[in-house]
Amino acid sequence: MLLFEFEGLELFDKCGINTPRRQLVSSPNEQIEIKGPLVLKAQVLSGKRLAAGGVIKIQSDPPTRVKEYLTQLLTETINHEKVEKVLVEEEVEYEDEYYLSFSYSTEVRGPVMTFSSSGGTGIEDKRVKSYPVDILSTSEVKKLRLHLRGVIPKELIDTALKLWEVFIKYDCELAEINPLVVDKKGKILALDSKVILDDDGDFRREEKFSQRNSFGRPATNAEIEARKIDEGDHRGTAGSVYWDLPGDIAVLAAGGGGSVVNLDALIALGGKPANYTEHSGNPPREKLKKLTKILLSKPNLKGLWIVGGTANFTDIYETLMGFVEGLREVDPKPAYPIVIRRGGPRDKEAFEALKEIGEKEGFDFHIYGRETPMTSTAKIMVDLAYGKEKLSS
Amino acid sequence: MSILVNEKTKVLVQGITGKEGSKVALQMQNYGTKVLAGVTPGKGGQEIHGIPVYNSVAEALENHPGINTSFVAVPSFACLGALEEAIKAVHPASGSKISLINVLTEHIPIQDTAKAIALARNTSEESGVRKLTLPPSEVEEKIRIVGPSSIGIISPGLGKVGSIGGDDPRGVFRKGNVGVISKSGGMASEVSWILTQAGMGQSTVIGIGGDILEGSSFADLLEEFAKDDLTKAVVIFGEIGGTYEEDAAEFIKKSKFKKKVVAFISGLFAETLPSGTKLGHAGAIVYGEKGSYRSKIESLEDAGVKIAKTPDEIPNLLR
Repeated sequence: MLLFEFEGLELFDKCGINTPRRQLVSSPNEQIEIKGPLVLKAQVLSGKRLAAGGVIKIQSDPPTRVKEYLTQLLTETINHEKVEKVLVEEEVEYEDEYYLSFSYSTEVRGPVMTFSSSGGTGIEDKRVKSYPVDILSTSEVKKLRLHLRGVIPKELIDTALKLWEVFIKYDCELAEINPLVVDKKGKILALDSKVILDDDGDFRREEKFSQRNSFGRPATNAEIEARKIDEGDHRGTAGSVYWDLPGDIAVLAAGGGGSVVNLDALIALGGKPANYTEHSGNPPREKLKKLTKILLSKPNLKGLWIVGGTANFTDIYETLMGFVEGLREVDPKPAYPIVIRRGGPRDKEAFEALKEIGEKEGFDFHIYGRETPMTSTAKIMVDLAYGKEKLSS
Repeated sequence: MSILVNEKTKVLVQGITGKEGSKVALQMQNYGTKVLAGVTPGKGGQEIHGIPVYNSVAEALENHPGINTSFVAVPSFACLGALEEAIKAVHPASGSKISLINVLTEHIPIQDTAKAIALARNTSEESGVRKLTLPPSEVEEKIRIVGPSSIGIISPGLGKVGSIGGDDPRGVFRKGNVGVISKSGGMASEVSWILTQAGMGQSTVIGIGGDILEGSSFADLLEEFAKDDLTKAVVIFGEIGGTYEEDAAEFIKKSKFKKKVVAFISGLFAETLPSGTKLGHAGAIVYGEKGSYRSKIESLEDAGVKIAKTPDEIPNLLR
């Protein structure tokens, strides 16, 4: 989970990293306690906030027109994200700005420290250096201190050790300070934070953060409901990852890998997916029932594609019967084509049952087994869903 | 031959009294793989499918010095402890150790995975912060971890470790000479099935897992396949996120890998989504240009790897 700047700064405070005096406001009418000059910073998850007009400096002391600027920021939308909170911060004067972060690197398959002596905006294009950090020996801070000598400026070592503490203690995927500055009195301060928490470490982290949507818009009802399916039930997954997309073909895809392969194939053929989601690890029938109902609650669908590779251990009969149970409760009853391609344990049993259900209950099922290439059913789906309308457009 | 798993594979199941552990233990036995022992702390003394259960890996190894492989299916919060046990256990008399660990467990905190990988590499002597000069494939792997979130490893006809192929691997996998390495468990089976239908058997099929950090990368396993006489060609199933595909391309170029390699990369559609959007696997996440579809395709093509546009093109590209 990506944290807002103010949340990351709170974690920095807890580990003793210096941060500027600041106040979080969500209404322009709040009394501002911070003395000028001020920096007002919109709290959004997307980057490039400065370029998008999300930062306003008020140089005068006492600060003027604060309410006006706050109103401006709090009604703004930055990179499709509505500004809900603004951080009002004392402006810090500084000469040197650095970049410092800890993250995991797939190249060394462990943590790395990344450092640049010229931090600030546009860091992507600047020269940065990464240094692998031995995660075993660095449980002793003394050792890490020794290793950091000569790698980063001496005066930054304490801050680096504290940032490492943040990184490990809170199970982060990324703990980044940019810029890290030295003010005129020689004090080291973190003027911004970017922290990505490892969701798999949630169970042992005391600090809880409210759900958010990295999609740059508030979560849709379907997204919120779908993510509830797995809560408190560890038998397989269904709906934990769910994104509404602007298309009209609902996709009930299986497998963390196969689901992506199939969406690629659908889009390549001109199909417009209504969502991305996946289920895997042999989820029970109820989970598929719930996911199906959420998925098909979307209006104006032109088709449903149930697709997956050859499962290793997901019970195809159970998952498809869960789908049928959900399908029966969808109102109005879906009349659009439903293309099914699956393979794996109990698949033949599932197909026989589906055939019968389709005929008896009047569903437009098109059933394919493992002998039909998975992605070739994307074409079948697109042709059935769009028919002649697609050809003429 | 084959790589990693063969008829000499002797398995310990960590978490054998759990649902997945006991199920997979039986699957492995049914496929003819020797499962010598199981471990669940506090449950020693029982038997599961006739397999003796011990309280610790050390105890299991003491009673069964032949164990050379561990299959790990313990809950995610306990996984680092289980891995540490498997990595450190040594048979007191013979000095034999576990050399291959396959981790099925999903959702292990990345910090714990990083610690397990570091323990298995046994690099504590070259500790601390050093410059980024040593590519991981040049670090001697004392113990190979495959996973976390791995579907398993199968050498058709010889044996399997992990959940791969489920109850009926014979319906999907055939013995042959194509190696398969896949980030996705489902796609490991799907690709193998496509090969089998086209009359191409497999030497060894490995699900490396789709997490950000994985014990074994494409490059690590290509190195193993390079030494394997049975393997004539290799198929890679990759996806966006991370650098394992780019590292594989680098390895192929640098080591002058002689066998044919065909790759399929998924996740093109994800590039239309906002940066940082999470998809099916924890590792399938892209920030900016790094780990993007284009970066992977370009580096693999540059290394002479043939790119399949759909999975069913793979057999033709191998011919």
